[in-house]
Amino acid sequence: MIFIAILIGCILGAILGLNVPMISYTYSSYLAIAIIAALDSVFGGIASVIKKNFDLKIFISGFFGNAILAILLTILGQKLNVDIYLAAIVVFVWRMFMNLGAIRRYYVEKWSDMVKNRTFQKKSKEEKDKEQDKEYDQEMK
Amino acid sequence: MKKGKITMIITIGIACFALVTVMMMQFKVVNETDITAIENMQETELKTELANWKTKYDEINAQYEEITQKIEEYKNDEKSNNEASKLVQEELEQTNTLLGLTDVHGEGIVITLKSGEDVTAISADDLLIMVNALKFAGAEAISINDERIINTTDIVDILDGSFIKINGQRILEPYVIKVIGNQSHMESAVTGNGGKVQELQTLGHTATIEKGDDIKIEKYNGEIETKYIE
Repeated sequence: MIFIAILIGCILGAILGLNVPMISYTYSSYLAIAIIAALDSVFGGIASVIKKNFDLKIFISGFFGNAILAILLTILGQKLNVDIYLAAIVVFVWRMFMNLGAIRRYYVEKWSDMVKNRTFQKKSKEEKDKEQDKEYDQEMK
Repeated sequence: MKKGKITMIITIGIACFALVTVMMMQFKVVNETDITAIENMQETELKTELANWKTKYDEINAQYEEITQKIEEYKNDEKSNNEASKLVQEELEQTNTLLGLTDVHGEGIVITLKSGEDVTAISADDLLIMVNALKFAGAEAISINDERIINTTDIVDILDGSFIKINGQRILEPYVIKVIGNQSHMESAVTGNGGKVQELQTLGHTATIEKGDDIKIEKYNGEIETKYIE
């Protein structure tokens, strides 16, 4: 269900993004850092959904707050002639990997559980069959 | 519980939508911007740079115009100076011509005088009277035996008329008097009744008059020195 929402959002976004007028190259670096921040927020949101502790307020404030903070840091860095945006990128990408790890672990565990269950069910079925066979044998006797 | 889940899903969908929109915009910008051409410079930097160059250009242009104007002024000055010096030069030439410091030529007559054998030789006085008559008739340049007659010229007898000195130079017969001026006026000044040529001829001297359209008279060779004129 959540993946359908993400997919629809991505497709609509791509269509709109390709048809929007060009923005100036000056703002390109700010936009890039905002994208990284937003990406981090989205992954964080998905991870929290999986962990079942998703909070709408935290998600929205994180989504915009992180992006704006990243842009402000970049502007400050340009004014100070220090590449602060590198630090922001490092933090965001690191958190992205953490969240991705959480998502991955969840699905891997889910999948392995599924496999285990299936084998368990098979085994129990076989046992049942055997029992039935035994019963049948006994009856026959 | 169900409602919360739907809100959550919609929120994440909208977030994804916004994210991908911005990403696509950024992709487009990065794709269409020639980054190497502007050599990593920000647009603002380039703008300020451009503005700087513009102001510099304006300043230099103003300077250039100023200098051009000055040059123009100097040229005008030079022109007027040139004109002035030209005028002065012309004046000088005219003065020199009048003073007899230049070679001149023009229409006029040549009078050749030779003393007769049995009579007293032609004296300086005769020459003086002749020159005076010619000047009276409007002669512009006179020379006797290529000695130019100028305002300081002396014509004197030396040793009781044994020879004549003009401009301090001893001259010998025949006396060739070259005159530039109106031919008929010159001629009539020395010929005719009472004319000096006529007189000399009657005294037994030889005197001939030739007319010429291009008589050349040389300049005064000496130096004009003044000691007492202040």
